[in-house]
This record gives sequence, structure tokens and C-alpha cells, in this order.
Amino acid sequence: MVTFILRKVASGIVVLAAISFLTYFLLYYSSANIARSILGEFATPEQVAAKEIELGLDQPLLPRFFGWAGNALSGDLGTSWFNSEPVARALMTRLPITLTVVVVSIIFIAIIATALGMAAAVKRGWIDRVVQGAAVVGDAIPSFVMAIILVTLLAIQWQLFPATSSIAPDSGSAAWVASLTLPVLAIVINGVTSAAQQIRSAVIKQLEKDYVRTLRSRGISEREILFKHVLRSAAPAGLTVLSLQFIGMLGGVVIIEQIFALPGMGALAVTSTTMGDIPLVMGVVIYTVIIVIIVNLLVDLINGWLNPKVRVS
Amino acid sequence: MKFGPKSTVVAVLTAAALALTACGGGGGGGGNAGAPATTLTIGQLQDLVSFEPTDAHIGHTMPYYQAVYDTLIRRAPDGTLEPMVAESWTYNAENTVLTLKLRTDVTFTDGTKLDAEGVKANLDHFKKTQGRDAYQVASMDSVAVVDPTTVAITLNAPDPAFTYYLSLAAGLVASPKALGTEGIKTTPDGSGPYELDTKNTVKGSQYVFTKRADYWNKDLQKFDKITMKFLADATARTNALVSGQVDATLLDPKTGKQAESAGMTLTSSQVDWAGLLLVDREGKINPELGDVKVRQAINHAFDRKTILTQQLLDEGTPTDQVFGPESGAYLPDLDNSYPYDPAKAKALLAEAGYAKGFTLKLPSIVGFEAILAVIQQQLGDIGIKVQIETIPQANFVPDVAGGKYSAFYFQLYQAEPWVAINQMISTSALYNPFKSTTPELQTMLDAVQNGGEKSAEEAKAVNKYVTENAWFAPFYRINQMYFTNKKITVEPQLQQAIPSIYNYAPAK
Repeated sequence: MVTFILRKVASGIVVLAAISFLTYFLLYYSSANIARSILGEFATPEQVAAKEIELGLDQPLLPRFFGWAGNALSGDLGTSWFNSEPVARALMTRLPITLTVVVVSIIFIAIIATALGMAAAVKRGWIDRVVQGAAVVGDAIPSFVMAIILVTLLAIQWQLFPATSSIAPDSGSAAWVASLTLPVLAIVINGVTSAAQQIRSAVIKQLEKDYVRTLRSRGISEREILFKHVLRSAAPAGLTVLSLQFIGMLGGVVIIEQIFALPGMGALAVTSTTMGDIPLVMGVVIYTVIIVIIVNLLVDLINGWLNPKVRVS
Repeated sequence: MKFGPKSTVVAVLTAAALALTACGGGGGGGGNAGAPATTLTIGQLQDLVSFEPTDAHIGHTMPYYQAVYDTLIRRAPDGTLEPMVAESWTYNAENTVLTLKLRTDVTFTDGTKLDAEGVKANLDHFKKTQGRDAYQVASMDSVAVVDPTTVAITLNAPDPAFTYYLSLAAGLVASPKALGTEGIKTTPDGSGPYELDTKNTVKGSQYVFTKRADYWNKDLQKFDKITMKFLADATARTNALVSGQVDATLLDPKTGKQAESAGMTLTSSQVDWAGLLLVDREGKINPELGDVKVRQAINHAFDRKTILTQQLLDEGTPTDQVFGPESGAYLPDLDNSYPYDPAKAKALLAEAGYAKGFTLKLPSIVGFEAILAVIQQQLGDIGIKVQIETIPQANFVPDVAGGKYSAFYFQLYQAEPWVAINQMISTSALYNPFKSTTPELQTMLDAVQNGGEKSAEEAKAVNKYVTENAWFAPFYRINQMYFTNKKITVEPQLQQAIPSIYNYAPAK
């Protein structure tokens, strides 16, 4: 088990290093005018040149990358080039919001999708048809369209929720719940149907297996078969879907954050990328990759715990 | 254990109901409570860089600074300059020394009293730091303290826009103790009508300002609290306004329709002009553009009215000139210079020797796609083949100002004549990358610079010259659509997309 984790962590570090370099490499080629953008339209060429030296923009790619990587390894992600805010602090104020949206959404999706998927697989009939139909509709309507519909109905027409985030430092959990309900709802509606569909087919597949027949013949109750054996065997498929959704959400939440003006990572990623704020972009990328690696590791571990066969491979 | 879909639905509904009861006043009531509003919430398009005055930039971020800093001079909504920290000001006969007489009852939030030394420290700091709006003090040579309440600013040449600049970033005064420190970036130290409530402020999301107790001019404190929410997305701004989360915000023609139908009040003003800047008048990249007939042909190629309808749902006014009606340099007749006439355009091209047309490369960034498609089609109709080159947003201004393109589409604000001249007409102007000029034009520019009070009048000749010589191909002036709810009123500010914070008042 320990070697399994160590191997996963080691491959994670390799991925992190590779992605960091790739991102830096791509940003390097679009960073020609950053000093000019920082100083404004009216700066003289001398000022621009001085700023480029100050930021190290006059250096070639490799020294620049290793300079940044060295600092990052010692825990210093630098400061934003545009507003001099330390990158670590900018991320720490925004990460909790994005993670809350994504984690809460994924928990809801997991619970609802499992319930729906199992119901569809076991009972078939109308529930199954509804789940199947909903999967098509849910996939077809992107979460941001759903978000706009929800805002129009629940925030503007009925004034039940704030239309845009009202999260402030002094606001208690009430403001968090109120501000995050619609974004989470939009994501859940979009994500739950496809996850339910996956779980449904995984459960059906298990139910057709010989061991289920054997268990039934030994007089074990349907409930026990379903929850103790079938769900456990079907879980890896569901977990894989959920982990993929989680990772996709980290990117997709960008638009949701814009619509609800949530001060999360998404807005930060968009503005820093368009402006060419390299330290900030790198910070966002690093944090996101680390989260993805952790999620993948957790999924592997849970899969291993649920299904010993996975551990061997 | 029963865990069917029914119980799940019940669980979700319960959670939602809990959220509802908890959110209470979170949504902010949209109705008018009767009593005059004591708070103002503004939906802002841009986030603040920092509270350091040298980071201030004309346009969408000025209200953040206006809340916490006074300016030396205050600009009234109609553009007249009024006393603020400077009680009065006078120029010498040559318009090169500006003497400011300061108020004596102005204090900063750290308790320091404002005096001539402090004002000098601010101006020197602004010049030395070379922030984004440092061009505003480019003509400033030195600042002298005459006595504790008088400063004399010496200019290296007359600058008709200098007093106007003192109502903008260059005129912001911060406590001399805080200037240039790290602290001022997040905690402003000014003498303005409000102070920042750092506890309730979240960078990148919302800024909360509370009324200062000992402010010298109670007339400028119409609210107890001002909140500025950064809402980059137009849909988010519309939703926030319509649902009562913000009291005022800037929208566009499309989202504006939604706000209007929800009963919001529209305050419309014109700030920007949009169109082509035909900068390669020397013919360095496109020899064709060196010929005035070709530039005039381009002007005749555009059906401005139809473009306006398509692009902005008619929220604007077609125009052939780059100076606005309130600038003082506007000439109504010039708007008939280039009626839509493709046949005439083709004839002009033929006269210039380009009957077969030519190829013109135009840069594009995100958001320009639709208008550039129209330009491509209309110029294509007269035989000019437009090649669209999409470039990163951050590269646009550096590239066009660096002379990489012979022409480009842009929106520029219609400023005071001298500001506009230094923006796109003089040889040092950013948007005159090929430094086009003629002795004739230079004489006119000198007359504006030395014109003192009459400088706007003198600028009419400049306007006529650049229009007749087709330096640009303007399409229209754009309506800025500023919306407010019934709780507050607002007066538009001349030449500003969004009003200054002094222009808001509670509805009576």
C-alpha cells in the first residue's frame, strides 16, 4: 500500500513538473508586451526596458523557468506583476470559494446520481426511462445556460436567492449558503444525469453477473445483495465518472463564477491569463494540478479499498 | 435503508428551504422603502489595481480613488472645474506657472494635516513613479512651496489640459507619510469623503467605504456607506441590478433592454467614438494609405447608420469626426463629409490609381469579430481586401502604437481637445505611430497649445483638417448606458463612461 501511494505521488510530481514547464513555455511566447501593459500606454521605451529587466523578461526561457521553479520549490510563488499581491495570498482567498462550489456539487451529484442510477437499474420501467431521457437533456444544457435560467427564475422573479455572490468577510454561513445554492444547483443539474446514467449501466452489468444469481440462490436478501455486493462492485465506474467530472468542473466553474460574480479561482485565472500575469497564472496552474493529483490519488485509494483486484494492477 | 429518488428529492428541497430561511435579507429588497437611501452600491466593470494614487487610471477605476482621496480640483458633471482641495488657482500671463491656493481644514485619515509641502510631495511622487497616468504630469517641470497654503507649479510648456488632469489621477492627494509605502496599496490614506472599511473589503470582489466623521465638505457625503462590487460580466451586472443587489451600473444595448423592461432608469451619455484610425498616412506599410483620396474612399465605403443599427441596436450617433459635441472643437457640418457612397469610393480609388484595389491588414482582438466582419465586407465592396489578424488582447495597444499596422479599429474616448490631440493627432501621440504631420497642421496645434481660454475654439481648425484629410474613418459615437434603480439618482459626468461618485444622490 505504501509503495502504491509513493508511486502515485512520484508520478504526480513528474506530471506537475511537466505541466509547469509546458505552461511556462507557452506563456513565454506570449509575454512580449507585458512590461508595456503593466506600465500603461504612455510609458517611454526606456521605462519599458527597465521594467523588463526588473521582471527578468530579458532572460531566455530556461533561466527564467528555473528561477521561478527554484522559488516555487522553496514555497515562494512570487507576487502578481500587475497589482503586487502575493500569489499565495491571492490563491488562498479564492481557493476556498471554488473548492466549496466544486466539492459540494460533487457530493450532491454523487448522492443523487447513485440513488437515481440504482433505482433505474433495479426498478427499470418509468424511472429508467426518465433517467435515460434526463441524461440527454442534462448533457445538452450546459451549466451556464442552466445558471442563467435559475437566476432569472429564483433570484430575479422570486427574489429567493441573491443573483450574484454576497460573500463578504463578515458574512456568516448564511450568506455562503445563499450565494452558493444557485451555482451548485446549476452544476448539479448538469452533472447528475450523466453520472446517474453511468452508475445505472454499471449496476445493470453487475446484476447480470453469475455471483448475483448465486447469492440470490442462497437466500440472501435483495437489499443486502444490492448494497453490499453490487454497489461495491459497481462503485469504481461511478467513482471514475465523478473524478472526471470533478476535474472538468475545475475548468467549467470559470463561467459559473463569472455569472454569479463569485470571487473564486476562475475569475483569477481568466484575468491573469488575458493580462499575461505569469506568476499568477503559474500559481493557478500549480494549485489546480495539485488538486487534480490529490483527487486522482484519493479515487485510486478508494477504488483499491472497495475492490482488492485494483490494488494488484 | 430506503434511499429511493423520492427521499433524495425531499433532502434537496429541505436543504434549499434551509438556505432560504437563512438568506433572509441576503437578496436585498428591490422595493423602495420610503425613507431616502443611506447606502449606495455600485456595480463596477473593473477591479482596482491598488490604492496607491500612482496606480490610478482614468476611466472605470476612478470611483475607488474618489471615495477615499480628494483631488486638487473637482470637475463638475458638466465639465467645469471647481475648487476642491485647491480653493482657487491662477495661471501667469504665459500660462506656464500655475499657482494653487489650498484649503486649511483638510486632514488625512492618519491625522496629518494637508499643506503645501504635502501637495508638493504628492505631485513629485506622481511624476517620479511614472504610473499609468504619468502622462498627465508630462508638462510639469517643478513644484515650489510658496507658503504653507500655496504651491506654484511650473510647466515646461503651456498645457491647456493641466488643470483638468488635476481633477483626475494627477490631482489625487494622499498623506505624504503613506506615499510610496506598501501599506497604502491596500489601506488608502487620503482626505476623501469616505474611508475604506478594510474588514469588509475583499480584493477582486467588493470594496466598502464608510462616511468620514470630520470631512470638510458634508455636501459630498450623500451616503453613509458606499459599496463597490466588481462585476466583470455584463449578465452578472444586469442580474445584480434587476434583483436589487446594486443600485447603479453600466450595461450595454442588449442587457440594457432587460434592465429597461425591469423598470430601471437609464442615463445615457456619449463618451467614446468608434471607427478606424488610418494611421499609415506616410504610406510606410500600405503606400495606398499615403494618398488622401484612398483614405477618403475608405470613409465613403461605410454605411454608418446601418452598422450602428446592427452593432449597437441604434444606441449611438453616426459621425464623420473624432471630436465630440461637448469638446468645444465640434463642427456639426463636418458630419456630412462622407456620406455612404460606394460608387464615389471606387471612383476615388481609381483616381488614386488603385482601381484594382489593394490588401489591408487589420488587427483583431476578442470582441472585435463582429465589427471587423462588417468592415471587411464594406471595404470589400469597394475593392479593398481586408485581412484580419487576430492577436492577444495584451498585445493590441503596444502593437498598434508601435506601428505594426497601417490602420486599426478601436474605440477612443472623446476628450478635451488638447487631450484628444495628444492621444491621436500630435507627433508625440500614442495613436499617431507614424508621427504624421504637416507644417500647416503643426501651426494649428501650436495655436491650440498656446490658446489658453480659447484653445478649444482653436481646435476647430484641427478637427476640420483631420476630417478633410481623412486621418480617421469614424463610424459613430457610442451611447453609454448607465442604469440606476429608483432608490438613487445620478447625473452623468461629461466625457466619462461612468459618473464620478459625487454625482449620486438618494432619491427624494
